[in-house]
Amino acid sequence: MDETVKKALLDIVREENFSDSLIDLISDSYDASEHKHRPDVAVWPQNTEQVSAILKLANEYKVPVTPRGAGTSLSGTTVPVQGGIVLDMLRMDKILEIRVEDRLVVVEPGVVYDQLEKALDSYGFFFPPDPASGVVSTLGGNVAVNAGGLKGVKYGTTKDYVLGLEVVLANGSVLRTGSRCMKCVSGYDLTKLFVGSEGTLGVITEITLKVNPKPPAIATCTAYFDDMADAGSAISETMRSGILPRTLEFLDDQCIVALNQGTDLNLPEVAAMVLAETDGFTQEGADYEMDKVIEVFERNNARGITRAYSPEEAEHLWTARKSFGGVITRLKNNFIVDDTTVPISKLPEMLTGVKAISKRYNVPIATMGHLGDGNLHPNILYDGIDPEEIARVRKATADIFKLGLELGGTLTGEHGIGLAKAEFMPLEHDEVAMEVMRSIKRLFDPNNILNPGKMGLEV
Amino acid sequence: MEAKYNFADRFGDQVLRCSKCGLCQAVCPVFGAMLRPSYSARGKMLILKEVMDGTIELSDELIETLFQCTICKSCFENCPSGVDVPEIIRQTRRDMVQIGSCHPAFEGMNEVLKNHTNIYAEDEPEDFERERNKKAKYVYFIGCVGSYREDEATMSTLDLLDRLKVDYTLIDEVCCSGVLEDLGYQINERLARKNIDLILATGAKAVITGCPYCSRTFNSKPQYAELNDKGIKIIHVTQFLKGMDFGVKTDKLVTYHDPCDLGRHCGIYEEPREIVRKIAPRFAELRHNRVDALCCGAGGGVRGAYPKNSIAMARRRLQEVEEVGADVVLTECNSCVHNLSNAKLRKQKFRIYNISQFINELMEGTE
Repeated sequence: MDETVKKALLDIVREENFSDSLIDLISDSYDASEHKHRPDVAVWPQNTEQVSAILKLANEYKVPVTPRGAGTSLSGTTVPVQGGIVLDMLRMDKILEIRVEDRLVVVEPGVVYDQLEKALDSYGFFFPPDPASGVVSTLGGNVAVNAGGLKGVKYGTTKDYVLGLEVVLANGSVLRTGSRCMKCVSGYDLTKLFVGSEGTLGVITEITLKVNPKPPAIATCTAYFDDMADAGSAISETMRSGILPRTLEFLDDQCIVALNQGTDLNLPEVAAMVLAETDGFTQEGADYEMDKVIEVFERNNARGITRAYSPEEAEHLWTARKSFGGVITRLKNNFIVDDTTVPISKLPEMLTGVKAISKRYNVPIATMGHLGDGNLHPNILYDGIDPEEIARVRKATADIFKLGLELGGTLTGEHGIGLAKAEFMPLEHDEVAMEVMRSIKRLFDPNNILNPGKMGLEV
Repeated sequence: MEAKYNFADRFGDQVLRCSKCGLCQAVCPVFGAMLRPSYSARGKMLILKEVMDGTIELSDELIETLFQCTICKSCFENCPSGVDVPEIIRQTRRDMVQIGSCHPAFEGMNEVLKNHTNIYAEDEPEDFERERNKKAKYVYFIGCVGSYREDEATMSTLDLLDRLKVDYTLIDEVCCSGVLEDLGYQINERLARKNIDLILATGAKAVITGCPYCSRTFNSKPQYAELNDKGIKIIHVTQFLKGMDFGVKTDKLVTYHDPCDLGRHCGIYEEPREIVRKIAPRFAELRHNRVDALCCGAGGGVRGAYPKNSIAMARRRLQEVEEVGADVVLTECNSCVHNLSNAKLRKQKFRIYNISQFINELMEGTE
């Protein structure tokens, strides 16, 4: 990188917020995916003015800029694949306003999801889209990839809560979108354009989020299924039974085997396990919905249904689901976690299809997911040493994407495209859609400095 | 094939098992205070992964992160993949020392302990106005920080033991030197021998330690195995005081800070709380407590090598004290007392004590 650019960056953020040390360049080369590439420098801006000055400079010298939050992306979204500047937003971490009377909060992008949760708790409010990495993931990152979570089935994803943004554009100008109202149809919805744009259109420097009153009553149950398709049917039937659970988590037989190998849970080695949770403002309400869930589960051949009657019992039921992240990393050296999402009614076909793909390529796939919203997480396990094995993994991944799309689904429900799914974009979006997306990218970022190489937008 | 560095031989599988999920960032005290990803446990593992791949070598360039870890063990407790980062860091520091890449402060401490009896190179120990090396049922082992930096706190603890009519003696103790193992060196055999001989000479059946790190060193390091072989028990002062009746109470709002060496490293969480609850009916837990407790920032050689960042970590812990509105923070580790006290701002009016010191002051009527 041009020394003039380095010197100018130093002037903007000062020494303590600038680094070209090896240790920082290595740690910023990665996110939680298998991708990596070193940047040339890392900077930690403190405010919007600094972000603006940095982008103006980068635009002038045509230096790539990759914004980064906690670096928990599973798609390579924050990997600076063309080098340049990593714009680490962690030090813009203030909760600026909590206005429960207006049902909103205003935060800087580096605020961690969990930090906001704790702050809202004393008001009896919460921010519902809760990614599994919420103890570390930043709200800026969550907005940039439109993160989902375990309660998406009832509460939707991040996009359903973003009321407005402050975004620094590639030329350094500062754009304010949306409003601080519950309703707003004034002009184009620029806010939504930036949610999920993976840092390719601008850098988010302030976020206004809608928050919800927190339902205090919860009901939880787990159930086992001898046939995986039955579990899929139970979930899709629950979703049309007239109630709305907040969570429907699914673990397949491979996940259960992994849990039994890595923990003392001693789960029955059946085809699938489902955890359901309902909530409400009275216990009767939550229980009424849970009765319905159990009724549907029983009709679909569930067995061993266990219902929690205390928070401790509920916590116990969650143990298997929560332990999964730990055991999965111990089976093989590497794993790819996809987030293919299908229409809810297509779940049984998608689940059996993934099994067939696993068999076809002789690649172990442990599938879990937030199935209430049709969101699967097939975890493809591999060692990554044998090139022939890696080739089979690539084919299996491609086939999962194709199957999802054939069933009317999407490549990604909540992780984003990043690098991992970039080459598959044209499978989901036809040339008209791809060209519209490319035109939008050109409009906002004519020099292609913002997170270049992502989302398959470059021809 | 033998790896180039011992850390790769011993822990290579764990370094590769790190799934890069980043959950350790939520609990790493160094990352939390500095918000620099290379300081987190994940950052360190990624760097070691590249060393194993041969992309980079261990070198002076890596000191800044590899020697900046308080060995607080929070990452290990929260790692879904069970990566024992503190042990990996300790081994890597040994590898670094072998190739001549070491933080000067760490090197300095090893040199100091070659020629002196304590980490501060102070040659005139405080005598605490007590006869030393006499025959007694217990040895009270103070530790370096309690002897040379928090001597008022130590005096108070000793006064409490006297009030409780405990038959103990002090010895001409020298640094247990356990800390050297965190810094890339080995326990100093000369110092270990001296401590063992002095303890054995008293005929004591148990050693009560004020410092949880000393306690851990005596209990777990082979250089001190002779103590255990001769049937001498090692107990931390909180374990000793548990179950005793002091007949005093405070009406102040009290909280408790879990030292990493006592909590995560030894699993002692409830004994100190039992004592605190007895003397302080108004008790409030800090937001991060027990296994989740935030490190004070002093451990793993960080206070000596990176004092500014060490204080920044202590300040984060003290913010939690402000949150609960406590009047008094109790702990039982002189190193924590020392670092937290140094970090306390003028506007923060709460007081920081060891439990034993606080009880003594209550009994004395000065608190």
